Order: sequence, then structure tokens, then C-alpha cells
Amino acid sequence: MKNSCFVRALACLLLIGLTVASVGTSAAADVKPAVVRKVAVVVSTLNNPWFVVLADAARDRAKELGYNAVVFDSQNDPAKEAQHFDNLISAGYSAVLFNCTDAKGSIANVRRAKAAGIPVFCMDREIEANDAATSQILSDNYSGCVALGQYFIEVVGEEGKYVELLGLVADTNTWNRSKGFHSVVDRFPGLKMVAQQSADFDRTKALEVLEAILQAHPDINAVFCGNDAMAMGAYQALLAAGKAGKVKVFGFDGADDVVKAVAEGKIAATVMQFPKIMARTAAENADRYIKGERNFPQRTPVAVELVNRETVHKFGDYGRK
Amino acid sequence: MGAPAGGNARRKPFVAWPVIVAGVGFAGLLVAFPPFHIVTKRADDAPPANASTGVVAVAAFDAVAFAEKFWSDQLAPAAARAPGAAVLLADLRRDPAAAAKTHAHRVGLGNAAFYFVRGTGRVTAVERSRLLLEINGAVVALRTGPVFGNVVRDGCGLLDVNQVPGLAEFNALSAELNRLVEARVQPPLKTVAVGATITFAGCAEAPESLPAAGPLLTFIPVTAEVTP
Repeated sequence: MKNSCFVRALACLLLIGLTVASVGTSAAADVKPAVVRKVAVVVSTLNNPWFVVLADAARDRAKELGYNAVVFDSQNDPAKEAQHFDNLISAGYSAVLFNCTDAKGSIANVRRAKAAGIPVFCMDREIEANDAATSQILSDNYSGCVALGQYFIEVVGEEGKYVELLGLVADTNTWNRSKGFHSVVDRFPGLKMVAQQSADFDRTKALEVLEAILQAHPDINAVFCGNDAMAMGAYQALLAAGKAGKVKVFGFDGADDVVKAVAEGKIAATVMQFPKIMARTAAENADRYIKGERNFPQRTPVAVELVNRETVHKFGDYGRK
Repeated sequence: MGAPAGGNARRKPFVAWPVIVAGVGFAGLLVAFPPFHIVTKRADDAPPANASTGVVAVAAFDAVAFAEKFWSDQLAPAAARAPGAAVLLADLRRDPAAAAKTHAHRVGLGNAAFYFVRGTGRVTAVERSRLLLEINGAVVALRTGPVFGNVVRDGCGLLDVNQVPGLAEFNALSAELNRLVEARVQPPLKTVAVGATITFAGCAEAPESLPAAGPLLTFIPVTAEVTP
């Protein structure tokens, strides 16, 4: 009897203890300050000022919203990007603000994050899947290059020879820009594209590629570049060949140095994307997701605007003044 | 018969204090080092929802078929009931920003805004790739040359990028709608003379400010009837 009472008393105390412990810790978890959640900003490259602005704007907005934000540079290498996803999944990040290296190849990374319960918010560059990312905030590249193409006809004319420098061939933006531009210029049979080559969105490569093209085609009238870094590289090549000012150069992005070059008449035009708007919107979507919202449109286009000598006064610092 | 009274087997008093102290101590240890935690399930522990609205599965997208069906099923009926151009033009001449707030619709993020209206006007000039029309004292242009860009796709306000598999397909749809405008709507406009009357429905980009010269808006027509 004595033993029985003792066991009962001990069992009761154990039960009370366990209940107190679990409820106590639950309550404690509710009242103690929340652990600062981590948000990863995975960006295709930091070797281009435009993407630095995109990454910094995403990181800064995430910090403003109370998160510990860390930038991962994929260096335009899908393998590095995959490693970043491995690391951030194991490190327990709460969300990823993502600028991919490959529209198709990056889908697997996004799916792995999703499977681990980590939502991914794409910025600027699209992944070609509708069920992987939580949302995609994307520039309307095609429309921008339609406007650029129309301006190209205005300043170059309906006859002439031109070169196109493409960006990364695995990036949908490369082709959306090219298709938008060609949807206009291809309607004018007097305009001949004498060369179309990729320079990987890279300034140095663009310089080298155009130098080689100029050897074979010294009589071109214009160069259409898929981004501003390549436009600056092309301008350098033309400068070295003594053709700056005679050959019109067109870029895309709205990078600060090119906006200034447009104002100075060195570059004919560019198209302003709004990296800060895209990055901030992606960070805000991630915050809303973490707070429980689930209804996001898969894709949200961001309008872009033509920057030429007439409109350049409106633009600066990667957006509208 | 009463209950057994225990008789002589008198129970020794149970000393409870050591047990209580031991139990409390044990409970204290459990509080300090809990063997498990009960925590509230957080909303973000759930797998990310496929929250897109109305996304079509990625499959071969037929822009031609999509555009044809959209044109007959949605665009033509919407053109017939589009708001009148006269009211928009009057508001636009007073205050472009206010007119945009009242009459324009926006697509995605950014500054792009569009009008979709119908109206009747008299041809005042025939130019290389456009006609100028006068509507209640305001001059607008109707494009008769090649149609570029997304003014029809985005301007009609009936299409969303999430209705198709991706941006490339959305752009292909835009090109196809432009082709339909050129094939179906523009041909009769290319032979009109000054003085003719045209009833049209069309899309136009909303300007930030009034143009210093020239037409207030340039419409891409999606329907047009000419009365010589």
C-alpha cells in the first residue's frame, strides 16, 4: 500500500511536471523575443553593377522588414547557384529572393527549396515553371525592346547594317529582348543584321566580340546590345576603332554609366528597368508570405521605359528621378 | 457488519515530504531541460502554396489559336461595349493625370497605363502610317502602319500574363494580336480619304502629359467601320 501510494504520487508529479514543462516552454516560446529569421538573396552575378543594385536593394528591404539578409553570388555559374541552395536549405533560411542563372536549369534548385518549405521569390529573371517559385517579379523586356526598336528606326533609318550582341543564351530575358527588337526592325527589309553573337551580358566580352566583328564588317551603322554592360563594351571597341559617334549603340537596363552616356550623346538609347522596384517587391512578398499570406500571382510584369536624349532627364540612380 | 477496522495493524504514517521535494525537483529539472516541446504550428511551415491564379499548365502553347478564340469570344464583345472616347478626350484635355486615374487601367508594376474606348470621328488627315481623326474637337490618331508592342494585349485589359505558360508565350500572343489587327482591321483604313467618318474601338497608351503638338492619343484599332 505504501509503495502504491508512493508510485501514484510520483506519477502525478511526473505528469504535472511534464505538463508544466511543455506548457511552460510553449508559453515561454510565445513570449520570448522571436528569433530573427534569415532571408537569402541569391543573385546571378555581382560582376555587373545592375545586379549589385538588385541584390543590395533586396537585402536592404529585407533588413528593413526585420530579417537577417545575406547575399549569395552565383557568379553566373549554375553549379555555384546549386551549392548556395544546398547551404541555405541546411541553414534554415525562411525565404529566398532569387535572380537565376538559367531559366530552365535553375528550376531544380527552386523545387528543392520548395520541398524544404522555403518559398522562392524570383526577381528580374524568369524560371520556366509555374509551380516552383511562389512569385516572379519580371521586367517587361519584350515591350522595352519594341520601344527601343522603334527608336532605332527613327535614328538609324530604314536602311543600314547593324550588329546584335546577345546576352546569356540560357536566359529568357536575352530572347525576350531580341524578339522585341526584331519584331520591329525585321519589318524593314533595308536593315541588314550582319552579325549576331553572344557576349554573355559581359562588358569585356562585348568589347572583344565587337572588335572581331568590326574586322569583317567595318561599315556597320549600329549595334544593338542586350544589356548596358555590353553597350559600354561595344562603345569602347568603337572608340578604339575610331568609330564612336558614327555607329549608334543601343543598350538595355538603365545602368547609371549608360544613362550618363546617353545624356552625353555617346550611347543612342537604353531602356530603364527598375531593379529597386523589383527587389523591394520581392522582399515585401517574402515578408507577406512569412506572415501567412498565400495568394500571389505567379508572374507580375514591371513596365520598362525608353531612355534617350529627350527623356534622359527623367532618369537616374536606376529608376525615375 | 461494519467495515474491517484495520484492527491492530496500525499503519505507520507515510512521510510525504521527501517524495514531494523529489517530485518538485524533478519537475523543476523538466522545466529547465524539457524532453520535448509543444509549439504552435507556424503558417510558414506549410509547403509553399501554388498560389498562382488560373495558371495554365506548361504545355505547347498555340498563340494563333489562343488569339483567334480571344478575339472572337472576348475582344469583339468588349469592343462593342467599350466606354466612349468623347468623355475620355474631354477629361484628358483638362487633366491627363486625373483622366488616367479615372479611365486608364494599369498592367503589373510601373508607369504603363492604357485606354480602351470606342468612338466616331471625321478623318482630317491621311499620313503614311496613321489617320488623324477629329472627335468633338479633339484630334486622335488611328494607326494604319505596322503594329508593334503590347498596346492591344495590355490595353484591352482582358488578358493577364498568368493566363499563359510564361512571358515568351505572352509575347507571342501579343505578336499574334498585332497580326490580326493588321490583317482584319487596318485594310479598309488604308484607302480612306479626308472627310470620311470612322467608327472604331481601340487601345492607346496613356500619356503622362499632353503632347506639345499632334494627336492626343494614338489608337491601335481593334474594330473599324468606314463611312465614306
